[in-house]
Amino acid sequence: MDNGATMHLAVSLFPGTTDPSPGREFSRLAGLVQKAEAAGLDMVLLADSAPASGGGAANSPMPFEATTLLAALATVTSRIGLVAAASTIDHQPYNLARRFASLDIISHGRSGWNATMAQAPREAANFSRPEGFSPDDFRRRSEEYIGIVQGLWQGWDADALLFDQTGGRFHDPGKMHLLDHKGEFFSVRGPLNIARSPQDTPVLVLSGLSVSDLDIAARTADVILLDDGPIDGAKARYEELKRRVATCGREPNAVRLLTNISLVADGTAKPTIADSMEKGFRAKSCDGFNIQMPAQLSALEDLVDLVLPEMRRRGLFRESYRGATLRSHLGLTGGGDQ
Amino acid sequence: MTRQMKLGAFLWATGHHIAAWRHPQAHVRAGIDIDHYIQLARAAEAAKFDMVFCEDAAGLREANVGIASQTSRSIGFEPISLLSALAVQTSRIGLVSTASTSYNEPYGLARTFLSLDHLSGGRAGWNLVTSASPIEAANFGSTGLKPHADRYERAREFAEVVTGLWNGKLGASGHDGQSFSVRDPLDLPRSPQGAPVMVQAGASDVGRDLAARTADVVFTAAQTFEEGKAFYDDLKGRMAAYGREPDDIKIMPGVAPVVAETEAEAREKYEELQDLIPDDVGVALLSSYLSISDLWRYPIDGPLPDLPESEGMKSRQALVIEQSRRDGLSIRQLARHFAGARGHWRIVGTAAQVADELQARFEGGAADGFNVMPSYFPGELDAFATLVVPELQRRGLFRRDYEGRTLREHLGLKRPA
Repeated sequence: MDNGATMHLAVSLFPGTTDPSPGREFSRLAGLVQKAEAAGLDMVLLADSAPASGGGAANSPMPFEATTLLAALATVTSRIGLVAAASTIDHQPYNLARRFASLDIISHGRSGWNATMAQAPREAANFSRPEGFSPDDFRRRSEEYIGIVQGLWQGWDADALLFDQTGGRFHDPGKMHLLDHKGEFFSVRGPLNIARSPQDTPVLVLSGLSVSDLDIAARTADVILLDDGPIDGAKARYEELKRRVATCGREPNAVRLLTNISLVADGTAKPTIADSMEKGFRAKSCDGFNIQMPAQLSALEDLVDLVLPEMRRRGLFRESYRGATLRSHLGLTGGGDQ
Repeated sequence: MTRQMKLGAFLWATGHHIAAWRHPQAHVRAGIDIDHYIQLARAAEAAKFDMVFCEDAAGLREANVGIASQTSRSIGFEPISLLSALAVQTSRIGLVSTASTSYNEPYGLARTFLSLDHLSGGRAGWNLVTSASPIEAANFGSTGLKPHADRYERAREFAEVVTGLWNGKLGASGHDGQSFSVRDPLDLPRSPQGAPVMVQAGASDVGRDLAARTADVVFTAAQTFEEGKAFYDDLKGRMAAYGREPDDIKIMPGVAPVVAETEAEAREKYEELQDLIPDDVGVALLSSYLSISDLWRYPIDGPLPDLPESEGMKSRQALVIEQSRRDGLSIRQLARHFAGARGHWRIVGTAAQVADELQARFEGGAADGFNVMPSYFPGELDAFATLVVPELQRRGLFRRDYEGRTLREHLGLKRPA
């Protein structure tokens, strides 16, 4: 029975203590994601641990690049959303759009791309750009990049494939569209050589936003991740963002704002976390939470076994999945569950 | 142990035959069905193939939208994500994907393939291509396709950086070259097989030199024994200059078999496929192999016109022209012939006949193994696995079980220092 709850919950796994054998490390991560799926979470966010992306990742690296890990996880799960971080410095926009379009078909419409608007300090130096980009250039480039990726994701209409074997018509060429993008940083003709996403397009999750990125986010994002803060400020920020979304001609509910919170694995998290999530959510400061934790079973068990039952008891989180795609979990349009 | 041949299962959409998708026994939704690919990889693994192989292009394969819409090749999985999914759904078979040196950066590519290698426990390989298609070029800038020599110079530096990253030999100062600069080592552990396997397919002079220097496996197209033998001897002869032993590279020509219990059945199966090819599709495919756009202007039952040398696929073009002159084929005949096997070697017959031909090239010094290109999936992969593989095993030419766990072990390649 559905309890009508509307809170959205994601977990963000960052590299923790890893097993020395990568083969076992995949099984361990798969077990974590399956546990998150059994608990009905909207999605798991997979960090990408290139040293360039910063943080203490170099001390305990995950042996996997995030998009390849997502593909593998997609085959051992069936409901939970899977979102991978991928850098706009590392990939050409055509290649990135294509990789995620492919992941979305492999996962039957459960994939998302986590793009960050913050330039990692060392990254460009490994990608033949030792000078990096100025903050302003990086912002304009990111905006153009995101526009290309989302444009490419719409290059094939959902009903373009005909599979007409006797008539010899595989697809309808009128339902395949060139992008013909020519911009300041990129020139991309398109289309992608991959079919339309089962959930319309993969989900775009934006993080690392500064104040000047809010308009870009309002125009393009499906999910926005923002850091936690005092509740009054967070409430004003939420209202401001929804106002900007409406100004862009989008439904305010077309964008989900999730607040980042951290969970420490010590078994005492239950009351404080549940209380603070309830308070933030009921004050309308967000649509849900992105719970950041080390990729360790003990941390996930605290959330799944202690916090979630409490959230459900309070009628804040749904009892189970309502659809099959990530868009449908997030209550976004074009969920592909029709 | 006596030398045994290596076998790759070349997976491509509905099948290698251009009209495969129209065949009633082909899986028409192959390009959007991950379970189909999982089943193919498991079938190839059960037959003890060394690897599955995925071709790649970062763009449409055919510029003419009318032609493209009559084939199944405009859509399909991106191969690195595809193989990453297959990695955890198989346990022994090698997983090799094409990726371009023209539209990637070496740091990201090295890291991605190493991740695939970790997901698969040491079964990954990278097929280096420089990308000859102007359609792809238009997805990565407005300056068009770069000249052949420039692409190969970039590829040489790219391969050097990638192997340096994989082998942990980049040096404290990183790499600062003409096309690329890299500062840090990779943040992933060393490959379970030392480094992913390096595959190449370029057959031009500069392509052969790059292969002789860096490749572990070379895919090639050879219609006749003589062509295959000449290529094999030439490439192996180039290796000493780079301090390598001839056995350090496995040369695996593509082969497009159509096999059945009887020769008559095999011929019937082949003709059934050929009849499904629309003329305009066949001519368009031939045009793309010849890197010209106006082949349709010439009479379809006449000979090939004289053609200028192109910046596209030089070696493949020469192969097509040679065959048309040798066999006196018309454009239509050549188009159908190439549409079927895409310039690769076609064998139509029984398991014993196919095994005879493979054995002759293997033992005659024209191949170390073969990249098998089934006409349609899954039927023709299954036919090869259930008819030809047992015949090869009976003759002692192919393994009955995997010797090791990694792709390098399957291929009998040294582990890099």
